[in-house]
Amino acid sequence: MEITTSDLGLAARVTHLTKRFGTGDGAVTALDDVSVGIRRGEFTAIMGPSGSGKSTLMHIMAGLDEPSSGTAWIGDTDITSLNDRELTLLRRRKAGFIFQSFNLVPTLDVKANILLPFDLDGRKPAVPEQHRIQDLVYDLGLEKRLTHRPHELSGGQQQRVAIARALASGPELVFADEPTGNLDSATGREVLRILREASTNGQSIAMVTHDPIAASYADRVLFLGDGRIVADKPRQTPEEISAHMLRTEQEAAA
Amino acid sequence: MSFLRERGMGASILVAALSSAFGVTLLATTGYLGFLAGDTLGEGGTVTLMIGILSSIFIVIAMYVGAIVTANTFSTIVAGRTRRIALMRLIGSTARAERRAVATQGLIVGLIGSVIGLGMGIAIAYVGTSIVGRLIDASAYDQPFAAWMALPAIAIVLTTWLAAWGGSRRVLSVTPLAALGGSVARTHEEARGGRAKNGFAIVLGLLGVLLLVSGLLLGLFTPVAVVVSFVGGLLSFTGLVMGSAAVMPPVLRVVGRAFGGSATSRMAAENALRYPERSSRMSIGVVVGVTLVVMFAVATETFERVIVTGLSQEDADATGLSAFLDVFSGVMMGLVGFSAVIAAVGLVNLLTIGVVQRRTELGLLRALGLSSSQIRVMVLLEAAHITIASTLLGLVLGVAYGWIGAQSTIGYMPEGGLIVAPAVPWAPVAVVLGSMAVLTLVAAVTPTRLATRISPVEALAA
Repeated sequence: MEITTSDLGLAARVTHLTKRFGTGDGAVTALDDVSVGIRRGEFTAIMGPSGSGKSTLMHIMAGLDEPSSGTAWIGDTDITSLNDRELTLLRRRKAGFIFQSFNLVPTLDVKANILLPFDLDGRKPAVPEQHRIQDLVYDLGLEKRLTHRPHELSGGQQQRVAIARALASGPELVFADEPTGNLDSATGREVLRILREASTNGQSIAMVTHDPIAASYADRVLFLGDGRIVADKPRQTPEEISAHMLRTEQEAAA
Repeated sequence: MSFLRERGMGASILVAALSSAFGVTLLATTGYLGFLAGDTLGEGGTVTLMIGILSSIFIVIAMYVGAIVTANTFSTIVAGRTRRIALMRLIGSTARAERRAVATQGLIVGLIGSVIGLGMGIAIAYVGTSIVGRLIDASAYDQPFAAWMALPAIAIVLTTWLAAWGGSRRVLSVTPLAALGGSVARTHEEARGGRAKNGFAIVLGLLGVLLLVSGLLLGLFTPVAVVVSFVGGLLSFTGLVMGSAAVMPPVLRVVGRAFGGSATSRMAAENALRYPERSSRMSIGVVVGVTLVVMFAVATETFERVIVTGLSQEDADATGLSAFLDVFSGVMMGLVGFSAVIAAVGLVNLLTIGVVQRRTELGLLRALGLSSSQIRVMVLLEAAHITIASTLLGLVLGVAYGWIGAQSTIGYMPEGGLIVAPAVPWAPVAVVLGSMAVLTLVAAVTPTRLATRISPVEALAA
C-alpha cells in the first residue's frame, strides 16, 4: 500500500515537480524536480529571491496552476489528476488564501467576505465553525467592522479580514503569498504573530516571502533557488536567514 | 490608430454606424414617400414635410440614446485607462491635453462609424426604392439619395465627438500619483456633485407631471389637451433621464434584492451599483426604448378600444380604422424600438468592460473557489439585473404615458372619460419581454466567455 500524505504527518506534499514556461529559446524552468512536504500544524516559510520559483511552487500546491510533470497532494488528494471543477471545490473546502493585495471582494462587507468560502459552497457554517468564526472575529478585533466595506478599512484591517476568511473553514492548509508585502512593518509584524498563533493552534500554513523578518516567524524555512530547494531549516533568526541568502547570492555571482 | 483595438471602441463605432444608417435610411424613406405621394396625389411637398418631421423625431431619439451609450462607453474606457493616463501626467502631460486626446478618439470613432452607416443607408436607399418601385409599379425614381439625407451622418459625427468629450470628464481627476499606487482597482466611484443637475431634473419632472395632470383634466373637454400632455410627457421624461443617476439605483437595488442572498447573486446585484452613474445611464437607454414602445402600444390600444366601442363592428372594419391604427402603432414601435437596439449594444459593452476591469477580483474569487458555473450564473444575473430593472420601469412609464396620451385625446368623448382603464395590448408587451430576455442572454455571452477564461494565477500576479 502506498504511503499517504497524512501518514507522513503532512498537510500537503509534492513529488518530482517540474514546471516549464514557454517553449524553445524563451523557455524558463521555474521548478526543477522539486519534492517536499508541508508538515501538519506547522508554519512553513518558502523563501527565495525573485524568480526562484517560490510563487510557482505555491500556485501548484494550491491547485491554482498545473505542473509540467510531477504530482501534488493536498491532504490525501492527488490534485494533479483533478479537473477544473474538482480543483475549484478543493480550493473552496481544503485551502485558505491570503494574498499580498486585493484580498477582499470590494462589493461585499466584512462579514460576507469572511463567510465567502461557505457561501460559494452553498451552505451555512456548522455550529463548531460558527464558534471558530466568532473567536476569530473577536481575536482579530473585527467585531465592530463586520458591516464595513473593505474600502473603509486600513490595509492591516483588510489583511486581518483575509486571515479570518482563510482560517474560517479550518482548511487543510492556508497559503499566504507575501502577506506583509503591502503593510508597514508594525502592522506586518502583527499579521505574522497572528499567523504564528494560528499554527500553534494546529493550523498548517505555507507562506511565500522574500522578507527575512517575515520568514523568521515560521517554524521551518525552505530556501528555493533556480527552481530547486537549496536548504530546509528549522526556525531561523532574521540574521541567519539574511546571511544564508547573502551567501547563496555570492555563490551564484562567483 | 491602435486605440481602435481597445475594448469599447468597436462598440462605439457600431453605435455610430447604426444611428447614422438608421437616420439616412429614414430620410431616404421620407424622400421616397414624398415622391410617391407627389406622383399619385400631387401633394409631395406636404407629405414629405409631415413624414420628415416624424422621421426627425425618431432620428433625434436614436441619436440621443446613441450619445448616452457613447458617453458611457468612453467614461468606462477612461476608467480602465487610469494607470496609463496617470503615467502620462507623471511624465508631464496636462490633464486637458489627455482629455483632448480622448475626445479626438471619439471624433475618429464617430467619423468611421458615420461613414459606414452612410454607406449602408445609401445602399438600402437604392436597393429599397428599386424593389418597392418594382413591387407597386411606380414610375422611375431618379434620386434615391440626395445630399440632405446625409445630414444625420454628419450630426452623428458631432454627437459622438461631444459624447466622448462628456464621457472623458474623469480624465481631469486622474492624478500622477495614481501611476504609482497599487490600489486603483479598489476605489469606488464617488458620488459626484451633480446637485445642480438633479435640481434641474426635479424641476423639469415636476413641471412635466403638472402638465400631464392638466392634460388629463383638460382632455375631458377638448382633444387639443393632448398637446399639453405631450409637452408634459417630454419634460417629465427628460427630467427622468437627466436624473437617472438618482432614479435608477433604487430601482436596481429593489430588483437586486429579489435575487436572493447567496454570494453570487449578492455580488451580481452589487456590481451594477458599484458604478451607479455608469449603470444608471446604461439602463436609462433601455428604459427609453421600452417606455416608448409600450407607450405607443398602450395609447393606440386604449384609443382604439374607445373609438371602436363608439362604432358598430361593421363601421369599424369598413373605415379600416382598426387596421390603420395597428399598422401605424406597429411602425412607430419598430422605429422607437431601434433605439433599444442601440441601448443593447451599450449594455453588452458595459458588461464586457465590467468583467475586463474586474479581472483581479474574479481571479481572487476563482482562487477562493468560485466555479465556472457560478461565474456563468453571476454574469447572467448581472445582465438580468439591468434588463429587468429597465423593463419594469419602462413598462410602468410606458403604460402611464400611453394612457395619459390616449385619455387626453379622447376623454371628452361620451364613451371615454377618466373611467377608461389603460388598455394594455399583450402582444407588443410580450414582444418587449421576449426581446429583453434575448438581450439578457446575448449580453451575457461575451462577458461570460472572458470571465470563465480568467486564470487566478495571472489575474492575481498583476
